[in-house]
Amino acid sequence: MANSVNISIEAPIENQIQEITYDGQEIYQAPLSMSENLARLAQKIDFSKTEDEFCNIKKEGESSLESKSEDDNKEPGYQSSLWPWDSVRNKLKNALTEVSVLADVLSIAKEKRYMVLDPIQAEPVDSRPMVQVYGRKKALSAAGAVLLAGVERLRASETMRMTRNMPDFHIDLLRLRQNWRLKKVSNTIVGDLSYRTAGSKFSQTGVFEVTKAPEEQIAQAMSMNASGPAPSALRVTVPPELQGVAFISVLCQKEQEDVVTATLSSSALNCPSTLLGDGADLHWQQKLEAAQNVLFCKELFARLAAEAVQLDASIPHMVVGNQIMATVLPGIQLLIGLCHNNGQNNNHNPEGIKSEGSSGKSEHDHVLEHSLHQLLRAVHHNNTHHPFPHPATGPLGPSKRRSLAGPMAADRYELLDMSKEQSLLEQIIQQAQHFFMRRRSEYVLDTIAKEVKDPLIVSHWNALNSPTQSCVKINIMAFGYDAVFRTSLVVHIYQHQMTAVQAVGRCMGWQLLASSAHLGSGPVEPLSNASSCLLASPNGDRMIAIRCEPSVGIQVFIAQSPRKDFFASELVQDKKWENLGGAFKEIKLEKMEGKNFLNKMELLMACLSSPS
Amino acid sequence: MHRNLPQNKEALLKSYTTRLKEDVKSMLENFEEIIKLAKGENDSQLNRMTQIEQDTFEMQVRAANIVRAGESLMKLVSDIKQYLILNDFPSVNEAITQNSKLFRTKQQECDQKLMSLRDDIAADLYDLEDEYFTSIYK
Repeated sequence: MANSVNISIEAPIENQIQEITYDGQEIYQAPLSMSENLARLAQKIDFSKTEDEFCNIKKEGESSLESKSEDDNKEPGYQSSLWPWDSVRNKLKNALTEVSVLADVLSIAKEKRYMVLDPIQAEPVDSRPMVQVYGRKKALSAAGAVLLAGVERLRASETMRMTRNMPDFHIDLLRLRQNWRLKKVSNTIVGDLSYRTAGSKFSQTGVFEVTKAPEEQIAQAMSMNASGPAPSALRVTVPPELQGVAFISVLCQKEQEDVVTATLSSSALNCPSTLLGDGADLHWQQKLEAAQNVLFCKELFARLAAEAVQLDASIPHMVVGNQIMATVLPGIQLLIGLCHNNGQNNNHNPEGIKSEGSSGKSEHDHVLEHSLHQLLRAVHHNNTHHPFPHPATGPLGPSKRRSLAGPMAADRYELLDMSKEQSLLEQIIQQAQHFFMRRRSEYVLDTIAKEVKDPLIVSHWNALNSPTQSCVKINIMAFGYDAVFRTSLVVHIYQHQMTAVQAVGRCMGWQLLASSAHLGSGPVEPLSNASSCLLASPNGDRMIAIRCEPSVGIQVFIAQSPRKDFFASELVQDKKWENLGGAFKEIKLEKMEGKNFLNKMELLMACLSSPS
Repeated sequence: MHRNLPQNKEALLKSYTTRLKEDVKSMLENFEEIIKLAKGENDSQLNRMTQIEQDTFEMQVRAANIVRAGESLMKLVSDIKQYLILNDFPSVNEAITQNSKLFRTKQQECDQKLMSLRDDIAADLYDLEDEYFTSIYK
């Protein structure tokens, strides 16, 4: 290439290089100023030499001989071999100089006009080292004392921790770290107790601060209760809004006029004050767990309140202060309240707490509270656990049903149906409704069982129930005849009696001639229909007719085959017709022996079967 | 350990090293200076007494410096411990898995106990219901 190469020409460095740094930069010395230059040049002058010359010049002035000799004096440097007496001559010359100076001094001293000779004090050379030694000794001992004091402090803190078994801050910190999330922000250790990592999307933060407890307080606490658990070297500071105890109170009650004020005051006061001790005494684990519980309750309540406002129910839900009111069934209300006792307002009216707390506690529904907690935890779990397949990094994934919607060719309505989610409030209302329905059906069953004495009604409630579904098994049977016949939940009890009588008859060898569950004859029953059956004895000479009307009860009639009151008449003359059973006669059941209807019937059948 | 540390963590670890070196160096230097002062070789133009006072004072300051460096080392040890505790994620993960295992077994135990209790109660309840409903006292 024809490119010309740039050549830079610089003036040579005028200043000296003082230092070359590691990156190759050269640091120059600043140019000398005038005075510095002068000083530098002056340093180059050898004054000892010039003094000699100066002396020589002086001497030159004294005598011409001297000047002549001085000329000679310069030469011997290189002519010493020619002048063997040179050293002698020099010595003599120096002696002469000194003697003349001495003479001058003496003359001046004698004059006493210009100069006075005074004796000079001899310097106290001896005392000096001792003073310095003492001084240094003192200085060293002072320095040593400083060092010893420092060492002593370190040792004291160490031995105090060792001998008195003081808790170690770092071990406590390690335990804290193993249970809670911590990080260091500049100089403070900050922790997080929120449920965010577990899937919560609540906006309130649960930040707490970890500090070292002052040693005096630990020592004091240790001396206070030597037998109790060792105090922690940690101090945990929880934000004031998360301090104290909180719980969600769930009440189901009948509708009242002044519901709002009554329940608000009672539920606000009946908070348990287990954390009454001042916060410092509490172990950090309990303190943090309590704070976490407060946060959880707050999230739960906030969610419920938001849902209550959004839901458009036929009877609108009310949110007043820290209370949500929802109508479960006509006349029955579900009250959900957030009780938070942060230990600041617990010292007013303690008696009021007691009296109202005892009444409020009995109403508080622990099961529903637990269900609420479970529901929110399920929401948290669903927030973090998405069904597979889902992107490994994605925070969200389609639900399992939605991912199946493609292959299954779901239509718009199905998709819309998928997007509907039951809110927590709806679910808890359903549970409350179910609870009441179950209670009512229990009551109904029990009262029926109480009222109907004869066939026993035994209801067995299944222990494995879902919150919104229950299972009950109802057996209707007669005492002592439960092996013969038992009906599992018949709508009408008399049907049981009817079928049970037939079963007993079959056992006794009686013949069922006719039976009908729904008789068309007789007065109209308000519930169900009358039923009847006709049984014949094994040898056919006796008959039992049973008629059962729910409103009247059971009527039993019997008929005898060789009728006793057969008289030949004009119409029926032949004797053989007496075998055609006679008129039915009613039996007074209540007068009969026997524990229950079936027992009576059995006795009756037994009685009628025997040859008369 | 040094594989994927973020920039500031790296800087923090480096600062720990420099702090260590500086403190040890400061201890050594101050000690040397004290020894030098004790020798007392430096002649100055000050008055002797002033000189001695100055030396005393300087020694005290240097001794205090040594103590400070020692305390600073203790602080460094505590800082490093804290750093280790807060950033030792493998051990934290281990603790978490251990905890979750513990709680899972506990949960299973509780569930089993509850289930057996429930079974017992259900059986008893069945009998009691039977008895109640067949009795005349209702």
